[in-house]
Amino acid sequence: MGICEEIRKKRIFFDGGMGSLLQARGLKPGELPETWNLSHPDQIERIHREYLEAGADVVTANTFGLNRFKFKEEDGYSVKEMAAAAVSHARRAVKAAGHGYVALDLGPTGKLLAPYGSLEFEDACDAYKEVVEAGEKAGADLVIIETMGDSYELKAAVLAAKEAGTLPVFATVTLDERGKMLTGGSVESVTALLEGLGADVIGLNCGLGPIQLLPFLKCMYAVSSTPILVNPNAGLPRNEGKTTVYDIDSDTFAAAMKEMAENGASILGGCCGTTPEHIKKTRKLCFSLPLPAVEKKRRTVISSYSHAVEFGGRPVIIGERINPTGKPRFKQALKEHDLNYILNVAAAQQESRADVLDVNVGLPGIDEPKMMADVVKELQSVVDLPLQIDTSNIKAMEQAMRLYNGKPLVNSVNGKREVMEAVFPLVKHYGGVVVALCLDEDGIPDTADGRIAVAEKIYETAASYGIGREDILVDALCMAVSADKNGALTTLETVRRITEEYGGKTVLGVSNVSFGLPMREHINAAFFLMALKNGLSAGIINPNSRAMMSVYDSFLVLTAQDENCGRYIGVYGPEEEEKKRAKEREKQENARIREEERKEAGKKAGQETGKEEKKEKGKKEGEEIGKKEGKEAETGAETEKDKGSAEAVSSLKKCILRGMADGARKAAGEALKTREALSIINSDLIPALDEVGKGFEAGSVFLPQLLMSAEAARAAFAVMKERMAADGAPVKKRGTVILATVKGDIHDIGKNIVKVLLENYGFQVLDLGRDVAPEAVTDCAVREHAPVVGLSALMTTTVPSMEETIRQLKSRAPWVKIMVGGAVLTKEYADSIGADGYCGDAMDSVRFAMEYV
Amino acid sequence: METDRKEIYRYLGYGVHPVDEETRKLVETCMEELERAEAHKAVMREFPLTVTEDGFIDGGCFRTKSRNLLKNLGGCDRILVMAATLGAGVDRLLLRYGKLSVSRAVVMQAASAAMVEAWCNEVCTGWKRAYEARGLYLRPRFSPGYGDFSLSCQEQILNGLEAGKRLGITLTEGGLMMPSKSVTAVIGVGAYKELCPVEGCEACTKTDCLYRRETKLDDIRKEMEARHGNM
Repeated sequence: MGICEEIRKKRIFFDGGMGSLLQARGLKPGELPETWNLSHPDQIERIHREYLEAGADVVTANTFGLNRFKFKEEDGYSVKEMAAAAVSHARRAVKAAGHGYVALDLGPTGKLLAPYGSLEFEDACDAYKEVVEAGEKAGADLVIIETMGDSYELKAAVLAAKEAGTLPVFATVTLDERGKMLTGGSVESVTALLEGLGADVIGLNCGLGPIQLLPFLKCMYAVSSTPILVNPNAGLPRNEGKTTVYDIDSDTFAAAMKEMAENGASILGGCCGTTPEHIKKTRKLCFSLPLPAVEKKRRTVISSYSHAVEFGGRPVIIGERINPTGKPRFKQALKEHDLNYILNVAAAQQESRADVLDVNVGLPGIDEPKMMADVVKELQSVVDLPLQIDTSNIKAMEQAMRLYNGKPLVNSVNGKREVMEAVFPLVKHYGGVVVALCLDEDGIPDTADGRIAVAEKIYETAASYGIGREDILVDALCMAVSADKNGALTTLETVRRITEEYGGKTVLGVSNVSFGLPMREHINAAFFLMALKNGLSAGIINPNSRAMMSVYDSFLVLTAQDENCGRYIGVYGPEEEEKKRAKEREKQENARIREEERKEAGKKAGQETGKEEKKEKGKKEGEEIGKKEGKEAETGAETEKDKGSAEAVSSLKKCILRGMADGARKAAGEALKTREALSIINSDLIPALDEVGKGFEAGSVFLPQLLMSAEAARAAFAVMKERMAADGAPVKKRGTVILATVKGDIHDIGKNIVKVLLENYGFQVLDLGRDVAPEAVTDCAVREHAPVVGLSALMTTTVPSMEETIRQLKSRAPWVKIMVGGAVLTKEYADSIGADGYCGDAMDSVRFAMEYV
Repeated sequence: METDRKEIYRYLGYGVHPVDEETRKLVETCMEELERAEAHKAVMREFPLTVTEDGFIDGGCFRTKSRNLLKNLGGCDRILVMAATLGAGVDRLLLRYGKLSVSRAVVMQAASAAMVEAWCNEVCTGWKRAYEARGLYLRPRFSPGYGDFSLSCQEQILNGLEAGKRLGITLTEGGLMMPSKSVTAVIGVGAYKELCPVEGCEACTKTDCLYRRETKLDDIRKEMEARHGNM
């Protein structure tokens, strides 16, 4: 009987701490415990023996921190040998004790994964695979992945364990007192991730004592369908002089563990500070307690690094805007690899309260798998919403599912055999909820019966891959009502019946329904409301559309899904207030104008009287006066018109000067109604930017203001670009500037500042990011034949890599002019490493680029 | 933890200049967002301090040569080694706004720098009280990277504190801590109280630092100059 069968039949106990016992045997602070696998094999074996004798069923090999990043070949360590040694010590102990399993231990790599650190996901995965292969070969019975604080690293470890070996995978994570992982994940999000990846046992370890962990265990038990393992610390640690002590004793620990056993934990053990005594007492108290039921919860849930989104409760809003279809500006961004544009589209949808973001980057002529991977990585570093990976390119789908930090939503599979055979294995391997379109080889069925039959076929096929129907979102498909008058009704019936008859979850791309009709928003909003009423679990919609969101928010209120109307009031209360304030302002303004008019009229009357007095009376003169008045009125109108456009000008300029992005966006839209984009740029935008730049140089404007103005200008530019892209006349770029923070340096704020300013001045900026190798900068300069490269370094330690980058640039791209900047640099230093220009601040870089591009 | 707004404006380069309303608003909204995202934590361990004959400082979990640190620890026979962090959430915001809004990113850099200092001050004040109650006095905290206290000690210190496991602090290839708003420091424990400890900017040897705190006198001088220039 393997351990996976055994844990469902009887209560299994893990061992306790290793590090603290080694310290008691002389391991020095800071000394790496894994070195003892080679230097003190007997001690290691003895500790395992003590645990087995205390009643542990599983001993954990001393491989927690064993990986190629901590133990390097060049320092004389072999990860493989150390793993094999560690497992064999545990095996010997098990043999001597006559019982027990050996767990190969995988802890955090000690390196932070990109984008925060420099370790790439696949490199983390490879490092874990090395240990897994060696450990399995040496005779480990299972893999325990523990003390994970980063869901992304956790995913790399679980994938490695599954892909490089055949052993059962147990995975436990560390939470802080708020119940969050170090990188922000919650119990619910990590449960979704681990169950999606197919971990055999999930759970919690380290970080806290059993008393603090209890509520989080309860939370995990409530949402999980997998046996749970809990290995808490011996309590909360406290320093007493030189030693660490824990706030509870082994009896209290055991009593707390009993409560764990009664509240959902199947497997019990210990972590830091726990000893064979803790395990012995825990076993004694808990051995005969009944095992908690491990029930299939059948929840439909996806996750991001930070949180889970469940389908079946409040209908889920999936933002549809990351999609090039019918969006020239978006297509242009994809062609130019302008990920920043896509990020802004994502952020705007998040602001509009999307729960999930659909990601579709398919465009003829681009490398979709690469683009999808780039966009997913970029999005998940900036937005915390779960993503819906939307592609029919299976390679792109797999890339994205692999790199995604969480359990994704996948769009889509359908009833075609070939498609199911390609998509379901991916869903099984990486985890995910998949959108299932009700169509197959015979096309889209006309009737609800037909669509339901396809859905049934998809359910059944998924089940044969071990994918439950909770991981399927049925897309009832929405046809244009202008082409088929019954189109909407068929869709609605399908939604209702999947919900009622199958307990299934549904999704709809809502906007198709109005295709071919004017004022599509009307139809979309009404149809969305009807679909919600028929049980729709999720809508793929434009969350920036007022009509759609107001229907949605109202639906929640009217169906008792908005407690105390809190959500509704939160959104629309301030709007109502603003409306009132605007009305009040208008009233005041009108009163002011009336007052001015009155004064003006009085003054004019006075003047006229004065003039008339000087003039001789007569009919002719009277006529002349009449003419004059007419002319005056005309001039007045002209002045008024001038004033009108001047005001529009100054309002855009004013917004930029004051750094108000929203205002600038609106003012730019207003200005575009009457003027050409280019004229607005040249007479408003650039002068405003120059004014702020001069102020910055003179010391009267400070960095935050300079940047707020730059962003306001950028917002205005974006409006112009949108218009020009729609007109098929993209903005002409001034020339290319490559920017990078040099190898070894991860401080990119300076580079980002320079980027924003250069873009505003019309340069095409290629931002290579941070920690960029000299070769990568040079390759790009050669490929693009860029006239200017800007390099940034903040640390003294990374200036040599700046120097090296310059050396390579000079030899392979001799035409390039190089500007450098960063806190540690000076003019002299810049000269000495061969830079062509030193930029003390962001405006310097604009001047430099202007000179050479 | 109360973050000093004056420190934030100093980091932003305002010096004695008045801060405009838009920037003030920006700083406050950034602070709100940071406060939601940060998860401050700290660990500390006490170690015996020995100085070998060849001038090496043995701090229990690290060994180094540093004149500046030695001076700072004069008269102490033990030390506190600490690590503190604001957590990964802050870096997430810094990365997010580095891409979406640099003005926010710049302000958040300044604000979170001030925040982690405030957090260190808070924990140190607590330890100071606890030790003073036992008749022991803490010296100002001194961090690797200051003066000649080598940044390469970072790894030993973090290992000695198990800071990876306890706080989630990791090192980049270049020896920088991530989360970026993290601090490690060594604090001397002495039997007598230093009358006028030199700490912070005044203790730093980098006198041309852009962010060096200026004394009141400097401020007044600068303001006078500014006024004079306007006249």
